[in-house]
Amino acid sequence: MPARQHVPRQPNARGKAQAAQPQPQPQPRFASAEDVSPARFASADDVSSARFASADDPGIMLDRQIGGLFEPIPPYPPQTEREAEFYSLGDGEMFLNVGPHHPATHGVLRLVLKLSGEQIVGVDPVLGYLHRGVEKICENSDYYHVIDQVDPLEYLSSLFQEWAAVLSFEKLMDVKVPRRAEYIRVLSGELLRVASHTLFMGFLALDLGGLTPILYGFIERDEIVEMLAALTGARMLFNYFRIGGVNGDLNHEFMSRLGDWMTRAGKQTEAQAGLLNENEIFVRRMRGVGVLDRATALRFGVTGGNLRASGVPFDLRRSHPYSVYPELDFNIPTRDEGDSLARYLIRVDEVRESIKIIDQCLHNMPDGPVMAPLPRLLRPRPGRAWGACEGPRGMLGVYAISDGSDQPFRFRIHDPSFLNLEVVPTLLPGNLLADTMAIVSSLDPVMGGIDK
Amino acid sequence: MRARIRAAFAKSFLGRFWGRRSLQERLALIFVPAAIVAAIVTVLIIVLAGPPFLDFLKANLPLVRFVVAATAIVLMTIPTAFVLIYLELKVIARMNLRVGPNRIGPWGIGMSLIHGFKVLSKEDFTPTGADITVFTLAPVVTYVASVMTLLVIPFAPGLIGQDLNIGLLYFFAMGGLTVLGLLMAGWSSFNKYSLLGGLRSAAQIVSYEIPLTLSVVGVILLAGTMSTNRIVLAQSGSFADWFVFKQPLAWLIFFIAATAEANRTPFDMTEADSEIVAGFATEYSGMRFGFFFFAEYVNVFIVSALATTLFFGGWTAPFRWPWSYNLNWFDPLSLGFLVWLAIVASVALFGTYFFAILARIFGGRAWGLWSSLGLGFVFMLVAVAGAVGLAAFIAFDWVQGLFWFMAKTYVFVVTFVWMRATLPRVRVDQLMGFAWKWLLPASLLNIFVTATAVVLLNR
Amino acid sequence: MSFVPGLGIAKGMALTLRRFFAPKATIQYPETAPDVAVRFRGRLQLLYDELGNLKCETCFQCAQACPVECIDMGGFDTRGRFHVHWGAAEQYAERREESALRRSGRPVPDQAYTHFDPIDTADVDGILEKYDWDQKEMLAILESIQRAYGYLPVAALKRVSQVSGAPYALIYGTATYYRHLRFEKPGHVVAVCLCAACLMAGASRVARTLAKELGAEMGRVPAPGGLALEQVPAHISGAPSPLVTLDGKPHAVGHSGVAAWARALAGGNVA
Repeated sequence: MPARQHVPRQPNARGKAQAAQPQPQPQPRFASAEDVSPARFASADDVSSARFASADDPGIMLDRQIGGLFEPIPPYPPQTEREAEFYSLGDGEMFLNVGPHHPATHGVLRLVLKLSGEQIVGVDPVLGYLHRGVEKICENSDYYHVIDQVDPLEYLSSLFQEWAAVLSFEKLMDVKVPRRAEYIRVLSGELLRVASHTLFMGFLALDLGGLTPILYGFIERDEIVEMLAALTGARMLFNYFRIGGVNGDLNHEFMSRLGDWMTRAGKQTEAQAGLLNENEIFVRRMRGVGVLDRATALRFGVTGGNLRASGVPFDLRRSHPYSVYPELDFNIPTRDEGDSLARYLIRVDEVRESIKIIDQCLHNMPDGPVMAPLPRLLRPRPGRAWGACEGPRGMLGVYAISDGSDQPFRFRIHDPSFLNLEVVPTLLPGNLLADTMAIVSSLDPVMGGIDK
Repeated sequence: MRARIRAAFAKSFLGRFWGRRSLQERLALIFVPAAIVAAIVTVLIIVLAGPPFLDFLKANLPLVRFVVAATAIVLMTIPTAFVLIYLELKVIARMNLRVGPNRIGPWGIGMSLIHGFKVLSKEDFTPTGADITVFTLAPVVTYVASVMTLLVIPFAPGLIGQDLNIGLLYFFAMGGLTVLGLLMAGWSSFNKYSLLGGLRSAAQIVSYEIPLTLSVVGVILLAGTMSTNRIVLAQSGSFADWFVFKQPLAWLIFFIAATAEANRTPFDMTEADSEIVAGFATEYSGMRFGFFFFAEYVNVFIVSALATTLFFGGWTAPFRWPWSYNLNWFDPLSLGFLVWLAIVASVALFGTYFFAILARIFGGRAWGLWSSLGLGFVFMLVAVAGAVGLAAFIAFDWVQGLFWFMAKTYVFVVTFVWMRATLPRVRVDQLMGFAWKWLLPASLLNIFVTATAVVLLNR
Repeated sequence: MSFVPGLGIAKGMALTLRRFFAPKATIQYPETAPDVAVRFRGRLQLLYDELGNLKCETCFQCAQACPVECIDMGGFDTRGRFHVHWGAAEQYAERREESALRRSGRPVPDQAYTHFDPIDTADVDGILEKYDWDQKEMLAILESIQRAYGYLPVAALKRVSQVSGAPYALIYGTATYYRHLRFEKPGHVVAVCLCAACLMAGASRVARTLAKELGAEMGRVPAPGGLALEQVPAHISGAPSPLVTLDGKPHAVGHSGVAAWARALAGGNVA
């Protein structure tokens, strides 16, 4: 018997609750599976809840039969050719829903895997479970609110989002940021990069089964985040950068914590690396798995550590320099293999480079104001601006269109994890189920940024 | 029909009488007569069937001994599992630079008990479409198969469940039954994750059975027998007699294969909880999952116990006990009941008071009258247990053997936990490739070398 | 990759073994307070100034500015006069309108407001002086005003607010709370005395008859221009029982003539 949907009582316009209306049962429209060919769904109007009239031809989509109940994945007819091709099962294949509720998908990522035994034949990633409408909210907030709204996108490294937003706004308003503010931005950004990479290593190890590195990662991150709380006032969603500078100057507490940390900078990260880098089990799980070659990476728009692991030495801090990075001395680690191990090792190297940058910032910190003088109500001239920075996951960009009012007209966020995750359907097939985690974790996705 | 009967009952005298009783009255009305009846029946049974039963027992002493031993072993697994759960939580936590559970009970030792209660109190459901019989039986099969292997482990010189001639063969036969339980669980859950987990576990355990048993063949060749008791006796000369020094390759293979058999990291693909949620146990909750949980920890204990028995001398001490001290001059029965009562009472009272005073001195004002007395009582019990244990240790060789056996076993248990804390998981195909391509030829090589050595040395 | 297989594993295990004996990073929370930064803005506490006074003025600016409307606050204003509350309303629908309207900065109209006509406020000043401009005597003040003017003119209430310092909302709230205070000029006021002597003489029956014939309830606010039925506050000395007054003046009417007189009144004739 088909299931009835439960509709909760909703208040109508006058506040009175209406009785629950039972949903009308979907009408059976198709007699056989041939009617559900992709050609029939050429237009979007045809999408409706279809039911198959007979239980004898599984055809497309029918995945499981429990006493008469069909449970297709997805519960609507395939809308594109790719979906129709994907959702037809071959011989001995099955669907496995590595679903949004999963201990290891870095957030709410849903991967519909088509498996033949343990080998992956196809992947259909489903995104959007964390969509919060940030871009729309930003269209209705004034420029100060936008910085606060854009924090929870990549919540593990939120200063970089603010940095991208602030870069684009500063271009719109032709604001010159004081040098001290720039150095403080670089300092806090690199600290957060260390914290983010440490967590990445921990999550990667956790997905592969090692319970310890993540806890070392959190010890490191806790120290860094307490430091940043002394500087910005918050531990995770900092709301620290402002258009034209930063919110507050360095203070004694931050400097003492930072100095304390610098004496054993990255000690836990080194411990993590010691646990993992030479571990035969870890290396054998990651070496040669998920090889992303240069052409594919460039074609998909992958940026950040993933691109550098495939042999392309592209880092926004060197190629499109912003802030005071031209004055700082650091290397861009690059590797050629392109497999998961290379992506992991690059980030370990980046942590060491970031510690070098922090050191230089501390030594070269200039004096001066931390905020450019700006009016209280910001009304930039109508125009468009693109601001991008190099986050821990890649190029974080903001394309802001202003129409002269105090709210941005359009605030388009370019998120690196979104494009990084696009290579998953190319990388996964052919590998085993256990490699799913190795590959997806090594790309370091953060679902907040992907779903915005 | 049932409704009519119910209505008729409600109107009758008995129905109205029952309906007017309160809850306590109802319970009393049920249990008091039941207790009286039970008491009468028990007395009757004892009077009528008692003597023949005792004669039967006296005639079949080995049977009695077996039943008692088996019960003791089964009952022992429960506290063992609790201790292992606690060890795992604390040791992994300490290696992660954090303190494990430390709120429930002193140093968190109540955590295991709470886990047990929690598991008992959870909702017990079966998923739609699951095969209920198989689903329910799977954890039972796993647990029973694990526990049955304990019958042949020699805990101490006199303490072995049953000294079978083919002890090791029996052990591996029973150990192989666990895979049946895992397969049943994976298949009957009607869940793809469980299916994957069950199949992986079957593949893993089956592929690691062979190097495990083959590595043990070397030990059997050296000891000349499959009986575990006699294997331990063969190592009882001195520290250097332990088979780990004579069979290092076999020990290595055995250890790796045993980790895989017990489904421990790095070989815990079957319950890889970052990929297939909980593997075969995804759909299990409540006490069913508790059974699997228990079975896994008991498995760890069993495998450590076997490692101790086969390679590290079982219950033999690592060094020769420098003196032997017997308490034969002391005949406990000669003192009489009253003297014993006086001794116990005075020890209890004075011990409690003494430790209470100590607690008050060192603990400060935090210890009031009753709490310090309570703490004193606990400490007194611990001290008395320690003293009795020490005396037993000195006097009885089986206590000594048990102590050494448990110490060595727990060293291996902690090693397993340590590996779980440190190592990531091995992929399925790499796991099986390792078993078939490396461990199996190595164990065959080991057998060949050992057999050659035995033949040559005997000549 | 090391040459010795297993060396990496061994090094990892040695590291964890070292860490087993290392000091732990756990902070035992309720016993040890964590070392929170001074600038940490996650602390939920109100700040005090150096004199020990609470700094928060309950100005609602934070609640109004919050982008997620999560602040709910209430307090006494700085003069300690009354308690204000700002927060999420119980129902979603109510919340949307009120919140957006208030956030827009436009004044929220009071639906019961009527533009007031100027009146002579000498009586009001006299009444206020008599009660010493005490806000706590608001009910008595209002009753006196009603006795003086026959109803509560808005101008009088505004005058009271201006002179005594009580907020208009307080006065308005008090006035709307009691049923015998009315804001409209009544047509005629018929009052019955319910003192002990009049009751013995049958005043309750008279009151019931009047209520039935006039179609009014005792103490109810009448329709504008309609008849009001009230209770005489005190028996006028020398008046016969049962005492019935019309517009404050005793009207001699017996038991038998009450109904007819009331009907005549209701019909519009004033006897």
